[in-house]
Amino acid sequence: MMIRAALLLVLALIPPALPASAQPPGVSDKEILIGGSNSFSGPLAFTGEQITKFGVDLYFKVVNDAGGIHGRTIRTIFYDDGYRPQDAVANTKKLVEQDKIFAVIIPQGSPPVMATLAYLEENKVPLLFPYQSSPETRRKRYVFQGMTVSDRSSKMMIDYLAGQRKLKKFAALYQDDEYGKSFLTAFEKDLGRFGLKLVAAESVKRGVTDVSAQIAKLHAAKPEVTFLVLVPGPGAQALIERQKIGWTDTLMVSTGPLTDERYLALAGDAAEGVEGLSLWPDPLLSDLAGVKRYREHMQKYFPKNGPNRYSIAGYFAAMLFTEGAKRAGRNLTRESLIAALESIKGYESGILPPLTIDADHETQKRGLWVRVEKGRFKPLTDWLKSE
Amino acid sequence: MRRAALATGAVVVLGWPWAVPRYFVFLASLIVVNSIVAIGLNLLSGYTNQLSFGHAGFLAIGAYTGALLTIHVPALPVPAALLAAGLVTAAVGLVLGIPCLRLEGLYLAMATLAFGFVVVEAILNLDWITRGNDGLRVPAAHLGPIALATDTARYYLTVAVAALLVLAALNIARTRTGRALLAVRESEIAAQASGVHLAAYKTLAFVLSAFYTGVAGGLFALVVGFLSPDSFDVFLSVDFVAMIIVGGLGSVPGSVLGAAVVTTLNDSLAGFQNYRPLIFGAILIVSMLFMPGGIASALRKLAVAGAAGPPRTGPPTASL
Repeated sequence: MMIRAALLLVLALIPPALPASAQPPGVSDKEILIGGSNSFSGPLAFTGEQITKFGVDLYFKVVNDAGGIHGRTIRTIFYDDGYRPQDAVANTKKLVEQDKIFAVIIPQGSPPVMATLAYLEENKVPLLFPYQSSPETRRKRYVFQGMTVSDRSSKMMIDYLAGQRKLKKFAALYQDDEYGKSFLTAFEKDLGRFGLKLVAAESVKRGVTDVSAQIAKLHAAKPEVTFLVLVPGPGAQALIERQKIGWTDTLMVSTGPLTDERYLALAGDAAEGVEGLSLWPDPLLSDLAGVKRYREHMQKYFPKNGPNRYSIAGYFAAMLFTEGAKRAGRNLTRESLIAALESIKGYESGILPPLTIDADHETQKRGLWVRVEKGRFKPLTDWLKSE
Repeated sequence: MRRAALATGAVVVLGWPWAVPRYFVFLASLIVVNSIVAIGLNLLSGYTNQLSFGHAGFLAIGAYTGALLTIHVPALPVPAALLAAGLVTAAVGLVLGIPCLRLEGLYLAMATLAFGFVVVEAILNLDWITRGNDGLRVPAAHLGPIALATDTARYYLTVAVAALLVLAALNIARTRTGRALLAVRESEIAAQASGVHLAAYKTLAFVLSAFYTGVAGGLFALVVGFLSPDSFDVFLSVDFVAMIIVGGLGSVPGSVLGAAVVTTLNDSLAGFQNYRPLIFGAILIVSMLFMPGGIASALRKLAVAGAAGPPRTGPPTASL
């Protein structure tokens, strides 16, 4: 008796078969639903919130207020993974299977993104513009990489410093993880093209901020250029330590992911004269049309939130999605979106240089050289190339 | 009544993948994996009063052992890989358990906390085999000719393993070892006076606990499909402690309920974004205020009140 009751209960829980619909998951007559797993707690919580709520959602507010894309408004769902891969997997499965999103947009961090990569490919869900720098996302049909990947950054940095500026002695202070190591490998390879080698390389464990021993060792190797492949905390500490021991005859250079305002603020006057590869124009001061519009939109919708390069990254991702969905037309499917994104050639965003998406599916391949002057990044070059 | 409840439970557990959308099969697998960890942690904390904040470390050891075996010895059947994951982790538990004998309360908590960090560092530094921060992709495991490639297959694997481990845990209390462990929890001095070898049994609790968590780790690797040191942060260890406190210290059904509640909460709160830790913490505090003995003891009280029988006395572990 009890068993039969239990069976009936189980049967009652089985959802009735749904009628087959012509539209893909996440797309209805009125709406497009996209989303992603991101960091709202954990080490990258600030970045995650800026990218999503103040970046992606900011741009979609603008689009929706102007009538949406081909009559559909865009709605987003973001779940917190706290930078834990297993939570990213759970969130992504929930987004795809329960919420039935159309595509994943700008998830953050190599481990969480890598954990979901195979699943998304298997289920043919577009993974759009992940905010991480590992080149493993390259040339995958359903993936369009966001942030400039490490080997491209390295190429731009070495070509500029060893090629144009004829510098010869390079050293690196790198974070002892995949971010640091992938840059180190790329530096060695690119220096090799100029017949050069790193004269010294010192590692910093993740989460450690005291870098005095490493700076002393690098100082002894007398490099002309010292690359900082770090995150803002230890990056700023390296500059302060360098100033403390009076080491002036080296050029400190930050990588793309490090060249941000937080690193500058933490280093204070120790950052003066430091150079780096910047992946974005200055979000606060640039007078590029797209960046100005971004600041106006931020002022209009989130007047309390200052412009920064994380929210502009999310804003740009949403802009690129919108461009793809517009090109795909009213008959929006996952395949038509991919075809539409692949058709983007010489697209003017007003933020980054004209954008062309090739078979490698990378959407950001360029950076510009900056030097810190009076506490701001001043551009020294036009956009560098990594082809 | 009890038999009917068990039958209903079995039908629900076995019918689950056919009754719910695919996502909830994955979620249920996670709950089952976490239940095994919670039972393991409860063997240590519930039985011998030793609280550990390093079980994410044990889970990591089991997970990497299981994953590496699956990758490098693909012919190995899943049960063997899981057993190996449990045994390797148990060996580490033995090595950690012996020095920890001298520690109690806060000091033990700190030592186990440190252990969690050491494991993460070790994974980072053994990157030639663990791939460090790049993370490790875990392929589908094999059971004979069958590849466990779907959420449903992996769910049944976790359920089968969990069933064995739950039975074992329920029966430990009836063995000489279990009685000795309970005696240690009630009073170390009295237990010693009755001839229980304190050091040996406390170490045994550590080893058993590590074994359970290691097996759970092997399953975790298969269910999630990707490992990286970031998976095993200190907050995961805290989640495990929360599971047994919410569920009920020293109770096997409580461990399972606690794991279900905490896992489901974590999952359903993900949409609250930055407020997730705040809401999660608030719910834990409230549940501890109103259910000090955990869900298990609250349910027992309800059942007692419903049956209007004489209230049962004695420690909440009476039903073990």
